[in-house]
Amino acid sequence: MTDSSPPILRINALTKTFDDFTALHGINLNVRDGEFLAIVGPSGSGKTTLIRILVGMDEPSDGAVWLRGTRIDVVPANKRPTCMVFQSLALFPHRSVGQNIEFPLKLRGVAPAERKARALELLDTLRLPRDYYSKRIQQCSGGEKQRVALARALAFDPEILFFDEPLSALDYRLRKTLEKELKDLHRRTGKTFIYITHSLEEAMVMSDRIAIMKAGRFEQIAPAEEIYARPVSKFVAEFMGEVNFFDLVKGAAPGVALSAAASAALAGQTGTLTIRPESLRKLTAEGVADLSFEGIVTAEYLLGSRIQYRMTLATGQEMIVEVLRENAVEGGIGAALRVGCDLSAAHLIAEAADAAA
Amino acid sequence: MKTSRLSTALLIAYGIAILGFLYLPLVSVGLASISKARYLSFPIRKYAFGWYEDALTSDTVRDLLVISLKVAGVVTVASMVIGFFGALAFARYNWRFRKTYQKLILLPIFFPQTVLGLALLMWFNALGVVPSWKTAIIAHLVWIAPIATLVVSIRAFSFDAALEEAARDMGANQWQTLREVTIPLLMPGVTSAGLFAFLLSWGNFPLSLFSTGADSTLPEWLFAKMVSGYSPLVPTVGMLTVATSAVLVFGGLILAWAIRRLRPES
Repeated sequence: MTDSSPPILRINALTKTFDDFTALHGINLNVRDGEFLAIVGPSGSGKTTLIRILVGMDEPSDGAVWLRGTRIDVVPANKRPTCMVFQSLALFPHRSVGQNIEFPLKLRGVAPAERKARALELLDTLRLPRDYYSKRIQQCSGGEKQRVALARALAFDPEILFFDEPLSALDYRLRKTLEKELKDLHRRTGKTFIYITHSLEEAMVMSDRIAIMKAGRFEQIAPAEEIYARPVSKFVAEFMGEVNFFDLVKGAAPGVALSAAASAALAGQTGTLTIRPESLRKLTAEGVADLSFEGIVTAEYLLGSRIQYRMTLATGQEMIVEVLRENAVEGGIGAALRVGCDLSAAHLIAEAADAAA
Repeated sequence: MKTSRLSTALLIAYGIAILGFLYLPLVSVGLASISKARYLSFPIRKYAFGWYEDALTSDTVRDLLVISLKVAGVVTVASMVIGFFGALAFARYNWRFRKTYQKLILLPIFFPQTVLGLALLMWFNALGVVPSWKTAIIAHLVWIAPIATLVVSIRAFSFDAALEEAARDMGANQWQTLREVTIPLLMPGVTSAGLFAFLLSWGNFPLSLFSTGADSTLPEWLFAKMVSGYSPLVPTVGMLTVATSAVLVFGGLILAWAIRRLRPES
C-alpha cells in the first residue's frame, strides 16, 4: 500500500483453526481511515469467520488485530468501539423502531430526552419519516428494516462499521437502491466501512477497494477496476464475471491467431490469457486484430442491450462473446463467427502467480 | 377443494361426538355437585346448591386448598426459573454434554409417575426427611420442571442468536443482554411453562399420593373420599378444582393478549 497515513485497522498474521479445519491462514490487511472496503468471497472462504473475529464474536487462534494502535483482539466484543450490521439485521422484535435505535445510547446511560432527539435525527439521516419512531419492527418493510439497523449502528457511533451481507435477502431493485444509499451514507459520515459480501457486483458499486478471499486467504486486494482488468489468478478473473481463458505456452496459444505485434509481445511467455466476453468485437473475414478467434455459434442469450454468444473453436474450446444488440450475428446458432480484441484487453496471468494461489 | 355435503355433515357429527365424549362426564360431575341426594344417582330428583356453601365454608376444604395452592404456586415459580435457564442450555448454547443433557431431561417424563413417586418416597426415607407438602414440591418438580424446560425450549429454538450478539456488539454486558434481550424474548415461553406447571401440579395425583405424607392435596382428598366416605362434597370440590384451573388458563390467555397489545408503547 502506498498510502502514508497510518491505517485505522491493522490485521496481522490472523489465523483461525477449528477442530480439523483452518478457516484463516495467517492473513494480513491494512484498512485506511474512512475507507469503504469490501471483502468478497464465495461461501466457505472465511469472510464470515474474519468479520466475527474483527467484531469480537470469535477469538483468533493466532495473530493480532490493531485499531488505531490499540490491540483489540483481546478486548471483549462489548468493549470494542466497532459495530456490525448483521445479516439478519438482528433488530429487537420486542422493541419499537425508536427503542432499537436508542439501544446503544441507553446502554451508555444517555438521558431519555437526548436519546430520543438523537434517534429522530438518525431517522432523518436515513430518510425515514419521524413518526416511525413509535412503529413496531414487524410493521416495517425489508428496506425500512435495513435503514433502522443502519440508524442503530450509527447511534453507536463506531470507529468502524462492519456489514455482514445485510442486503442479501432483499429483492434486486431494492438492493440496488440501498447499495447507492449506503455509498452515499459512507461519503456523508466519513466513517470506515468494512463490508462482507459474496456478491461482487455489490462490492463494485460501493467500495473503494475490494479484497477477494479464497479458502482463508486474500487472493487480491485492489480497487475494483484493477481487479477487473488485471486479476492475479484465474479464480479472481472468474469471480469477477464471465471470462475466457487461453493457455499460453512459450508465446503460443492454441485457438488464438496472433498478429505480428502480439506475437512479439508475448514471445517466450507462459501463463493464462484472460479475455472478457465484452472486450471482443466482431471481425469481417479480412478484419485484423491483435488476437483473433474463429468458431461456430452454438448458443445465444439476450441480455437486454447486449447479446451473448457461445461459440466452439476449431480446437474444441468453448468461448463466450458479448456484443451490442446492433452487432448481432446474422444467422444466429450455427453461423460462423470471427471475433478479435486488442492485446491490451487480454490480460496475462503469469504461470507462477496462479500456481501460488 | 370442495367437500361434499355428506362428508361435511359427517365431520361435524364426529366433532360433536368427540366433544360430547370429552365433556359429558364433566357435566355429570357438575350435575352431581348440585344434587340434593347424599348418593350419586341419575336422574337427579332434587337440585340444591347447599353443597357449594358447605364446601366454601369447610375448614377441611380450606386446608386442602391452601396446601394445593402452596404446592402448585411454588412448583410454578420454580419451574419457570428452572425452565428458563434449562431451556437456554437445552436449545440456545452449544456445549460439550448438550446431547446427553437433552436426553436426561426427558427421562423423568417417561417414568410412570407412580414408580417415580415410590422411588422418591424411598429416597426421602433414606435421607431421613419426613414427607409433607414440602417434599411434594420436590416430587412435582422432578416431573414438571423438565416439561417446563421443553415448553420454554420451543421458544428458545426460534431465537435468533444474532440478537444477543448484536446487544453485546453494541456494548451490553452479560446481565444487560439477559435483561434487555433474552428474558423479554423468552417471556412468552416462560409464561406458558408457568401455566402448564400450575395445571400439572394442581391436578397431580400419583406423585402427591406418595410424597405428601400427612398432608393432603385436593386430588388426593377426592380420591380418598371416593374410596370411602362419599358425600356430594366430592363432586362439588371437584368442580371448584376445575373452575380454578379454568380461571387460571383464561386469566393467563387474557394477560398474554394484553401484554402483546401494550408492548410497543411500553
